[in-house]
Amino acid sequence: MDHSVILLDFERIWPSVPYILQGVQVTLAYTAVSLCLGLLWGTFLGLCKVGRLSALRWGASFYISLFRGTPLLLQLMLIYHATPQLTGYTISIWEAGILTFTLNSGAYIAEHIRGGILAVDKGQMEAALSLGIPYPWIMKDIILPQAIRTILPSLVNESIDLLKESALISVIGGADILRRANIVASEKYLYFEPLIIAGALYYVLVMILTFAAHLLEKRLKTS
Amino acid sequence: MIRLEHLHKSFDSHDVLKGISGTIRHGEVLAIIGPSGSGKSTLLRSINLLEFPTKGKVYIEGLCINEKGVDIGKIRAKIGMVFQQFNLFPHMTTLENVIYAPLKVKKMSRKDAEALGKTLLDKVGLKDKFKTYTPHLSGGQKQRAAIARALAMEPEAILFDEPTSALDPEMVKEVLNVMKSLAHTGITMVIVTHEMGFAREVADRIWFLDEGHLVEDSSSQDFFTSPRTKRAKEFLEKVL
Repeated sequence: MDHSVILLDFERIWPSVPYILQGVQVTLAYTAVSLCLGLLWGTFLGLCKVGRLSALRWGASFYISLFRGTPLLLQLMLIYHATPQLTGYTISIWEAGILTFTLNSGAYIAEHIRGGILAVDKGQMEAALSLGIPYPWIMKDIILPQAIRTILPSLVNESIDLLKESALISVIGGADILRRANIVASEKYLYFEPLIIAGALYYVLVMILTFAAHLLEKRLKTS
Repeated sequence: MIRLEHLHKSFDSHDVLKGISGTIRHGEVLAIIGPSGSGKSTLLRSINLLEFPTKGKVYIEGLCINEKGVDIGKIRAKIGMVFQQFNLFPHMTTLENVIYAPLKVKKMSRKDAEALGKTLLDKVGLKDKFKTYTPHLSGGQKQRAAIARALAMEPEAILFDEPTSALDPEMVKEVLNVMKSLAHTGITMVIVTHEMGFAREVADRIWFLDEGHLVEDSSSQDFFTSPRTKRAKEFLEKVL
């Protein structure tokens, strides 16, 4: 047998494919939950940044610079390992992951939200003020709906980033796509094949997300 | 009643209003005219504090509103405003634009608010546009919807900030006609405008502003037939 030829042996890992596939829902769960919470947290931070209270403005700016200025992996490890040490609470992998991804994506989303709010014509705020509408309602019902519309493309990019970055959860043992691929790899002593499968799964998920975003954008444009 | 006392407004080092005093009576139609850059819009926007005066006082019904502790939202709810650029909410239908503030600010029931909204939109000739999203309206229709939105709060006064300046010429009249129908119905109207014919015909009184000063405060008839100041004369010669 000629050993110089690299052979891809997908047949040997074929039985393990369903196991890797189950990671899809884990990855999606991390992504979806963190995205929703990150959106809420990011909106709050973004509102702080455009608000009148300078303490909140500075606090939000400092927070955002911290989470954008350090590696996500470091944040994840800190939260996973330091939480039990500091508080005595044994944080689960799921909790640590969701918390980290939420805190991190919130920082990025906040900047988008801020930009989106500032891009809304200032006449909208004036018209709403002139009607006597209180500031929180102006933000919720008048400004944010328009801001979200303009930043939808960047929010989609954010969710795509989050989907890919969620693979970091495998470092602390979360059973997502990548982690499962790694487990299969070390069981079968075959690395290339399971990782290729994992890569293909991520790619397909990102493509689906991109396509859905296109549809959503189109619908928002026509309405 | 609206009363201004020694109103000043500066943007950085640029003085736009240089001590304006005057009274606007209940139910009066007041047109503020003057060359561009004279401070007309700034003066109008000071009345509901969209511009906060640098010095001086704004009184609404005897209450000084540019002091600490005043709930300005409550005051603004009683003073409508119509903008040059309409500023309708683009993500809402025409009817939603009109009823949003009555629903949220006045806590009107949805049924009552919708009835009121439909009546008002009917009044400004937009009966068939209830469910149209406002970006699909023409300029004239937008401004009429904006007037209906202001009216929905049943304000005591409405401020018009160059309401026809952003309109195509053929749409100016439909907006002016709606405004005419409001005049002398008891609602106070303060109108910054370049439409001299309209000011002459509809306004009771004219404020002529020049370089941040209230140069003339006279009845419409007096102002257009025999302006007292040289500046007003020159201005009228140019625009009429």
